[in-house]
Amino acid sequence: MSGSGVRAAAGWVLRTLGRALTVVVVTATVVFLALRLAGGDPVEAVLGGPGSQAGPEAVAAARAQYGLDLPLWQQYLVQLRNVLTLDLGDSYARRVPVSDLLTAQLPATAVLALTSLALAWVIALAVAVLATTARGRLGRAAARVLRGGELVASVLPHFWLGAVLIVVFASTLHWFPATSTPGSPASLVLPTVTLAVPLAGFLGQLVRDSLEEAESAPFATTARARGASPTRVLGRHTLRHAVLPAVSLSGWAFGSLLSGAVVVEVLFGRPGLGRLLVDATLVRDVPVVVGAVVVVALAYVVLTVVVEALELALDPRRRAGDALVAAA
Amino acid sequence: MRRPALLPLTATLASAALLLAACSGTAGDDASGAPDASGDAGAATPSAGGTLVYASGDAEPTCLDPHVGGNYPQALLASQFLEPLVGRDADGTITPWLATEWTTSDDGLTWDFTLAERTFTDGTAFDAEAVKANVEHLKDPATGSSTGYLALAKVDSVEVVDAQHARFHLSEPDAALLESLSQPWTAMESPTGIARGTDANCLAPVGTGPFVVTGSTPQQQVDLVRNDDYVRPDGTAEPALLDGITWRFLPDAATRYAALISGEVQVIDNPQPDTIAAADADSSLGVEHIDAPRPGSVNRIELNSGQAPFDDLAVREAFIRAADPEPGIETLFAGVTERSFSPLASVEPLAYSDPDLFTTDVEAANALLDQAGWTTRDADGVRTKDGNRLTVRMPVSTNQSVAAEQSLFEQIQANVAGVGFELVLEPMDLGAWYTALGNKEYEAVSAPYTKVGPDVLRILYHSDGTVPAPSGYFANHAFVRDAELDAWLDEAASTQDDDRRAELVQQAQQRVLEGFYILPLYDQQNHFLVRGATGVDVLHTVSTPTFVDASLTS
Repeated sequence: MSGSGVRAAAGWVLRTLGRALTVVVVTATVVFLALRLAGGDPVEAVLGGPGSQAGPEAVAAARAQYGLDLPLWQQYLVQLRNVLTLDLGDSYARRVPVSDLLTAQLPATAVLALTSLALAWVIALAVAVLATTARGRLGRAAARVLRGGELVASVLPHFWLGAVLIVVFASTLHWFPATSTPGSPASLVLPTVTLAVPLAGFLGQLVRDSLEEAESAPFATTARARGASPTRVLGRHTLRHAVLPAVSLSGWAFGSLLSGAVVVEVLFGRPGLGRLLVDATLVRDVPVVVGAVVVVALAYVVLTVVVEALELALDPRRRAGDALVAAA
Repeated sequence: MRRPALLPLTATLASAALLLAACSGTAGDDASGAPDASGDAGAATPSAGGTLVYASGDAEPTCLDPHVGGNYPQALLASQFLEPLVGRDADGTITPWLATEWTTSDDGLTWDFTLAERTFTDGTAFDAEAVKANVEHLKDPATGSSTGYLALAKVDSVEVVDAQHARFHLSEPDAALLESLSQPWTAMESPTGIARGTDANCLAPVGTGPFVVTGSTPQQQVDLVRNDDYVRPDGTAEPALLDGITWRFLPDAATRYAALISGEVQVIDNPQPDTIAAADADSSLGVEHIDAPRPGSVNRIELNSGQAPFDDLAVREAFIRAADPEPGIETLFAGVTERSFSPLASVEPLAYSDPDLFTTDVEAANALLDQAGWTTRDADGVRTKDGNRLTVRMPVSTNQSVAAEQSLFEQIQANVAGVGFELVLEPMDLGAWYTALGNKEYEAVSAPYTKVGPDVLRILYHSDGTVPAPSGYFANHAFVRDAELDAWLDEAASTQDDDRRAELVQQAQQRVLEGFYILPLYDQQNHFLVRGATGVDVLHTVSTPTFVDASLTS
């Protein structure tokens, strides 16, 4: 690697770190303010939740223990310092370190989001290829149905789809459990499908649009003129072109999966970050909410970087010249 | 044109199928101990042993020790592993439990309890020292107790007379002491367990109950196993039939019901009214319905008499005459509950009802508002007086009011609009809701309150209840400040004459109803659905379930 290449790479790393830091500070600030301005007293989280009738000494002791007797701006600075020093503090309600809670809950959400993302991609690719390559009257009719299906799927609300899947596949057919049991992969199926289907509809539309565009592009015509089979054209040329916009949006998609996880984890009674966030928000357990949101934001940053790398790998045009700099 | 190339398509579909197959591979051998989903619920034969799965819709307790804070989700779980000093039977009579006998001094300031011989599941003896340690734990500010702390407010100290005799010293006579001690929030814990500190004790409090906490997975479940040395309240040593209970947290009501029907769980709480009605109507589902209203207060709408417009009795009466909640209660709650006309729950023996005060009368409501000076109406049909609209803000806790209740409020909103009220329903989460109440940003509110016995009236309607706790909370949302009522409630709280107490409690309820401070709706709903198990019962203290005689059926 040349000297300019090293400088470029170093610059890229610095910029990425700077971006991560900005995201952390901004999200921690917004979450802290939103939570403290929403009403509700965090000290009640320590004393059994909202509506606590604990005595004056108990309230004073809890305030002192968690620094809730300080002015709000000082509480904010303490929270910010904690986040920046990677010490997320203790949960008001659960009395355990926030980092322990997050470590325990993160894997469940990560597994759910990743399997959903994978399933969404599989469905999206299958449908897009089917819809684009279909020939004949019947094939074209099927393609039209699939296109309509993509649109419908992409707007399905998670809570509705999940409830329907539970009624059909758990209550009626008894194929899959409605609820989560530790160590049971079967209980992952319905939540995964619930998250994956709307996303697949969205990704599918993107892939199909650009696949159709690519199929009529000059490079595809050229390949066909050279005698390449439709399979080869699809596999080597057009599909690669077609997935790019959807890959670029996979970072966003992962973010949408994490927000969908809030609904799905509550609906299916799964442990995870989303449910932790809901419960913690309810009792104004500030350190937990801030910690969880910051971790999610960081995951998002990491994913964006991964997506950029993927784009580079898939798109030869981006690799030319100082692509690394351009990408960052 | 050539035929479509099927290879890539087939490959993609095949990989999708593989993925699904990989995910579903273990569907048949589910790791949980739940019985087979396809089992016929009709052919129910009880069997000893097995692990019952309970699915709770209540929030997951952040601390399993009900001395800390003290809410209903904690009470549900604590009833399985902790026991109180006294119990209460269906007609409200206090019964022996960990205390076998008690006497009180003539001045009501000294109570002597004789204790049963029991051992905590960690081997620590249950004795007078343990009782003393529990009361001190509840009163220690560091514990952060709310409910238990309030319940024992009049207890000054506990004296250890000897191992089997504990003497309570009170600061003033307390007619509600035994009722307070029957609640799970004041139940007895092992002093050795308490001495481990709050963090450890929160994870696994130690009691004398039929089950023992062995572990928990946050946001998933708490694991309980049978206490083989369990001694029942009557002194017979007879453990529970079940091997254990898996106590799961399933926040979504529809999912809980689906899990019950598919056999993943055997007991659910907080079912929706329509699923209760469905289960009641269709016996082929094999679902047993347990209706166990909570004690204390009914669910009611409290009208804030501390500020306009409800500082005017006529306006309160007009609202109540126009609200007409009965048709809504019948349809929205699918016949699973009845309209109440009392401040107290129907399970309280001293509950007093007066349906005549609550007959719907739109004409009377209009006349009352006219007389009260709300004579003009604006373009929206809302009455006005001196330029003020007849607006009623009602914060609605979306965590406490179920969907049916929120719909009922919307019907009431439409009904009172007919006579010129603008009822503004403000849905909000629990924290924001308590803040709105604390700031008195409400004219009407529905706030549940669970407590054993009629002493709940003193908490909700005594003028002392308008003074906020340090957290800002005050229980007297109707802002009732009536010196005579205060005197009755004070006397009812301290008299040792049961007849006199009953008389005072009735007078107090009459006064609350006749003052149109509240619109009673129905008992605090507390239902359990059971399928695949038998022998599930309910304690008559705060209506929590007990599984000491429960067994799985197959």
